[in-house]
Amino acid sequence: MTAESGGQSRPPARGTPATTVYIGLVAALGIGLTTAAVIREGLVIDGPLVVLGFLAVLTWWSGRIVVANNVTLTFSSIVLLAAMALLGPAGAGIVGILVGPLQRGKVPLRARVFNTGMSAALGVLGGAAYRAAGGPRDSSDVIGAWEIMRQIAIPVFVADLVQVAVNLVLLAGVIRVAGGAPMRNQMLRLLGSTGPAYLGYGVVAFLLVVLWQPADVGPASVALILPPLLVARWAYLQYAEEFKAHERALHVLVAAVEAKAPHLTGHSERVADLSARMAEHLGLRGQVVADTRVAGMLHDLGQTTLPTPLVRGGEDTGGDLVRSYPARGADLLRDLSFLSGSLDAISRHREAHLLEGAIETDDLPARIVGLADEYDLLTEVGTPDGAVLEPEDALRTLGGASERRRELVGALEHAIGRTGGPST
Amino acid sequence: MAWTVLAVGVLVLGQGVLAGGRELGELITVHEVTVLAFVVAVTVGELVRLPMPSGRDAAPLASASALAVAFLCQIDGEPDFDVPSGFVVLLVAAGLGIAAVVRRVRGGPAGVDQLAARLIGVAVAAVLTRDVGGDRGSLWDLTLDQDVPRPLVATSMVVVAAIGLVVEIVLSSAVRAERQRTPWSAALRDETGEVAPLTFAVVTSGPLVALMAPVFGLASLPAALFPLAITYVAVERYARNRMTYRQTIATLSQLTEHGGYTPVAHAERVADLSVRIGRLLGLSDRELRDLEYAALLHDLGQLSLRQPIPGGATVLAAPSDQRDIAVEGARIVRHAEGLDLVADYVEAQTTPYRQVRELGEVVPLPSRIIKVANAFDDLTGGRSHPRTSLAAMERIHLGLGYEYDPQVVEALAVATADAMVGRVQEREPAGR
Repeated sequence: MTAESGGQSRPPARGTPATTVYIGLVAALGIGLTTAAVIREGLVIDGPLVVLGFLAVLTWWSGRIVVANNVTLTFSSIVLLAAMALLGPAGAGIVGILVGPLQRGKVPLRARVFNTGMSAALGVLGGAAYRAAGGPRDSSDVIGAWEIMRQIAIPVFVADLVQVAVNLVLLAGVIRVAGGAPMRNQMLRLLGSTGPAYLGYGVVAFLLVVLWQPADVGPASVALILPPLLVARWAYLQYAEEFKAHERALHVLVAAVEAKAPHLTGHSERVADLSARMAEHLGLRGQVVADTRVAGMLHDLGQTTLPTPLVRGGEDTGGDLVRSYPARGADLLRDLSFLSGSLDAISRHREAHLLEGAIETDDLPARIVGLADEYDLLTEVGTPDGAVLEPEDALRTLGGASERRRELVGALEHAIGRTGGPST
Repeated sequence: MAWTVLAVGVLVLGQGVLAGGRELGELITVHEVTVLAFVVAVTVGELVRLPMPSGRDAAPLASASALAVAFLCQIDGEPDFDVPSGFVVLLVAAGLGIAAVVRRVRGGPAGVDQLAARLIGVAVAAVLTRDVGGDRGSLWDLTLDQDVPRPLVATSMVVVAAIGLVVEIVLSSAVRAERQRTPWSAALRDETGEVAPLTFAVVTSGPLVALMAPVFGLASLPAALFPLAITYVAVERYARNRMTYRQTIATLSQLTEHGGYTPVAHAERVADLSVRIGRLLGLSDRELRDLEYAALLHDLGQLSLRQPIPGGATVLAAPSDQRDIAVEGARIVRHAEGLDLVADYVEAQTTPYRQVRELGEVVPLPSRIIKVANAFDDLTGGRSHPRTSLAAMERIHLGLGYEYDPQVVEALAVATADAMVGRVQEREPAGR
């Protein structure tokens, strides 16, 4: 239960009539399958159903914790898997209906309806798969490591696979109908991030089933399995909180630059913003975009190591000392492994400054940061006497002869357009 | 205290040998596979210790495996684990002992007194399970009796496991209090505060193994520890992030060093000394963390000085300059949400103690600690020669009550006299 990306909770994209129809179909599928299973098998309202139903309702409380990069953590898949094994298709369908609509936070109604239909369908199909793979109705008499592997572990694993597959197909469907990204990539991405998590859910659900029936502990098994998971959840929460705090701490570095060079106030943020937008526009990977943003934010850090009068007296008067500050900035950050992707761009951004006779470096992030830096210096920071250029003039000044340069300036223009002028 | 715990640990071990000695060879032969599996589990669990965010470490997988041995009853495919409690202690001691030796060989501290505390905790659980009981026999007998409802057995096991772990925590915090010279109450509070969630997870994992074993055999051991392993991964990640956070703060502290404003490693030394003094004075983990960050950043305000102070030693600067530097530093730190307290500590670090005493001004204890630690490091220049320290102490004593908080200076004297005082690690870190 370490991670689930997207998963059941991903709200369907903006409402087109087609998505509404699709969501209606999924809901009908889930409710229909559950009804069929109940008619075929009959439904006994007994202890296990009540307990698992109650747990399903409780999972809303545990919420979904966003750990990092859209990876979230949820208990509902475990409850659903256990229900497939302990209750069969009909009971699992009912539990699915209970899991679906209850989500904390602002989840639009259409997403709740979709999730209800999907988790009900997951429950019924998974329950059927468990039986089909040889899982007994009642596993109380299954004894011995080998027998338990054959009669419980393998069927739980099969049900787990069915859960992943149905989840993916229905989600991919909604993305397709909403006219979103190419399905293939989307599905691979989802599978990559959720696959290991579902394996984890499967093992925990398996333990719950073994403890519940063969080991005869019954519903109390939940109390034995839950504590470690709750603690893991606690730790992830702490982690997420500190992770954010850590991000904020990076702003102190920016504040240090601004304390040293008051005329640069706001400059770092603007360059970070522009750099990230340019990187995005040029089609760089997500991680590279993030690294470029950080490089933009911290590109002037090295200035803190220069004598204050030199920094405040305006740039370009200190010769070699001034020229060396980008590398010093990168040196300062050398110990921080999470910034390693930004170091090159920080230490080489100045090489890309056109107005200083750029040595066109091959390092694209460095060139991006360099251009964004130059543009902002011209239009916002200005010369020591306070003269600034209009965006158009600055762009004309910066536009270069080479093809590569033009492409870069095009990205800059696009980035400015999107911000509606970078002034903040 | 450490020696008392160790002595009791040895006694428990001795009792284990005596009680089990009768039929030791036979027991080992009969339960060969089980013994091997659990010794390995305890050893491995102890070797993959979990470094906690505060810098101490926990061994949840070893604790859970050890408690499982105490409860172990029927095992599918193996003979019933019908052994005296002494044998349980012996088995766990073997696992812990091997781990200690391995760690020693690798050059780490063996941490024998912590192991003794763990062993005593397990011994208590084993005795409660196997030797104590009413008319219907011990908890172990009840576990064997299939007519006793399993939820009842499970609950009893969890209670016994909890008692064993509480014993362990109380003892190990006593050991820690002794070694760090922290008040015991503070050590106990930290120990329970940080480890409590993990303990909560361990309490059920031991019983889980024992309850699954009758149907799932020895495979229960890895299977039932799986949820705990997830916890382990989560906590490890949390701790690692805490470390990077600290590194970021340390980087900030180096800005003034690279700019030639402060001597190299001054901030790190002041932070180290401040934390030790803070621990001595019984600050909580949370306060210690903020103190550490504030101490690392205490000179940050020098960054925007037009001219560096000679040698970067603020203790020799004019009081008004000191104050400006502190205010500027705090202003920079306040740019990060969540570091407000740290900024407050930085800002108040220059206030002389006189203003607390005479004008009733509120100066947080961490600020008073940083003031003293900074003065000491400025005066010694980071040299640990006894004569330098002595001269610095003398100089600080001159400002006692006027400039510096006497309680903090007293703690400083203790900390500088013994390099081990106030450290979480068992050995002095080999210089940063």
